[in-house]
Amino acid sequence: MFATYLIGLREGLEATLVVSILIAFLVKSDRRERLPQVWGGVALAVVLSVFFGWLLEYTSTTLLAKSEDRELFEAVTSVAAVIFVTAMIFWMRGAARSLSGELRGKLSDALAVGSLAVALMAFLAVVREGLETALIFYSAAQSAQVDGGPLYALIGGVVTAIGIGYLLYASAVRINLTRFFTWTGALLILVAAGIFKYGTHDFQEAGVLPGIRTMAYDISGVLDPSTWYGTLLGGMFNVTAESTVLEVVAWGAYVIPVLLLFLLPGRRGSGTTGTTGSASGTTGSATGAAPVAQPAV
Amino acid sequence: MRTTRFVALAAAGALAGIGLAGCGAKDDGSKDAAGGAIAVKATDTACEVGSTTVGAGTVVFNVTNSGAKVTEFYVYAAGDRVMGEVENVVPGISRELHVELPAGTYETACKPGMIGKGIRGALTVSGSSAPLTDNAALAAATDSYQRYVQSQTGALLDKTTEFVTAVKTGDVAGAKALFPVARTYWERIEPVAEIFGDLDPKIDGREEVLEEGMEFTGFHRLEKDLWTTGDISKDGPIADRLLSDVKEIVAKANAERLSPLNLANGAKELLDEVATGKITGEEDRYSHTDLWDFNANVEGSKAAIAALRPVLTERAPELVTSLDSGFATVDTTLGKHRAGDGWKLHTELSQADLKDLSDAINALAEPISKVAAVVAK
Repeated sequence: MFATYLIGLREGLEATLVVSILIAFLVKSDRRERLPQVWGGVALAVVLSVFFGWLLEYTSTTLLAKSEDRELFEAVTSVAAVIFVTAMIFWMRGAARSLSGELRGKLSDALAVGSLAVALMAFLAVVREGLETALIFYSAAQSAQVDGGPLYALIGGVVTAIGIGYLLYASAVRINLTRFFTWTGALLILVAAGIFKYGTHDFQEAGVLPGIRTMAYDISGVLDPSTWYGTLLGGMFNVTAESTVLEVVAWGAYVIPVLLLFLLPGRRGSGTTGTTGSASGTTGSATGAAPVAQPAV
Repeated sequence: MRTTRFVALAAAGALAGIGLAGCGAKDDGSKDAAGGAIAVKATDTACEVGSTTVGAGTVVFNVTNSGAKVTEFYVYAAGDRVMGEVENVVPGISRELHVELPAGTYETACKPGMIGKGIRGALTVSGSSAPLTDNAALAAATDSYQRYVQSQTGALLDKTTEFVTAVKTGDVAGAKALFPVARTYWERIEPVAEIFGDLDPKIDGREEVLEEGMEFTGFHRLEKDLWTTGDISKDGPIADRLLSDVKEIVAKANAERLSPLNLANGAKELLDEVATGKITGEEDRYSHTDLWDFNANVEGSKAAIAALRPVLTERAPELVTSLDSGFATVDTTLGKHRAGDGWKLHTELSQADLKDLSDAINALAEPISKVAAVVAK
């Protein structure tokens, strides 16, 4: 039963961490008006996952019925989530910079967070694991005995994950603004790196990338994924007991440049890497409320 | 601001593009080749794959975890290339894996605790990727067996309803008389029932299921109360659950598309059932009506072979001859123990009687075990 609870916790954490940091970030930078978009993205992801899970479980659909298709889906959505989260990390960096010795009102200049981007980020964070979670729930509901053991354990795990997400949010919004941006940014980099590593692993499992059996290390003797701490490390940062060489390379290739760029105290400039955009390029004009970029879709 | 908008758009565009490629590329509606799912019974220490030879095409595994650890199930090709996997099979649930397998040799693996190399087993996939059922004779065989399943499930539902009614109205004598009769229809099609994972132990689980953390319900629970205490006053809910589980399995069994290999493996499994459960007398340990089940298993096995008969006659005539004589021997040996409309109780048989029955079953099991290979040719 505890093992089942931990699976619920892990799947839940994989979705809630990004969302709770995103919400904390929006609240902290006075962008509460973006919160409906976050919840909209989350709700859409949940609805889609539940719907596709239902299709797979109760109809003879062929869409995503094969495991490698699902791995590919998770891989693609994970990598897309990383792109958005990375963009957010650099918004944070811009925010942290514009705070140094300047007025808070300047925040809105530095942070042009499109509502579509916010909604999409929340959507991607949840949808990438949503389908798998929905499928576990359906099979638990189907095979649940009268006491419904596995189902309740799973629900308990997900609820705990949401609780942890809330605690993270609550403690994040309490700390001093500059430190908030630095710390949550750094935390987010680790989370994003984990998602990137996860996506790489899924690409390998889907057979798109090679080297699924080329292991970099195996510490399953030390870090048993069925323990509570193994679950937490896996759910938050995707620290796994066995990782392939490619996963580790991908993780390093993400963490090192992003962390360096994020922590560099350099002047405002083009803090961009090949795939990520930085929104820190605007100078603070003293007009107060700058118009917010609305992606024309 | 411009940059942000650009990034958002570019990422959204990229996502849509990759997403479409990812989902659209493979969505060509590949049909299930082997209709029935292969049951995989995973525990913390074992990984029983219901069938280790399958026909090429889309193979469906139904993985049930009755251990205490979370498990994963993999199908590997040479060099541990992952052909398909299902993760997060938490204790007490079943999950399905659909995987496209061309002919060749593979390995299956359960990974209790989600680590290590897993508990490996060989899997042979034979034939061309054209589904087995394309062969007209085999298709006719599965259709014919499907009709048999339909007729048996109909009777199973009727008799179970009568049995449940007798239990709920407190009619001990009536329930005792109906118990082996209702079970006859169940035992005839038990291999089909086993495809549906956890429904089988719910309906037909013996007291040992308690050790696996499941509730003791179904036929044998009622049997225990009927024959040991005779007190069935509190068994209403158990009886109701039995009926609803039976209804569910009947609906599923009739909707299930069986493959010719299901038939061949089912015929073999039924005999294994006889050898492990009926001859020992452990199946109906309170009522001792094991011979009813014994006979039903043999009849079910015979029905599966009868459905395959045209194919077997064409491909392996000598096998058909030995199967016929094997069944005849079992029937004669078992026929000695008739009692009125039914059978003698297990307790009325001597050790010598049981040994004769066991020998007859073993003699038949040998040719039956060759059927799958002939079907998969």
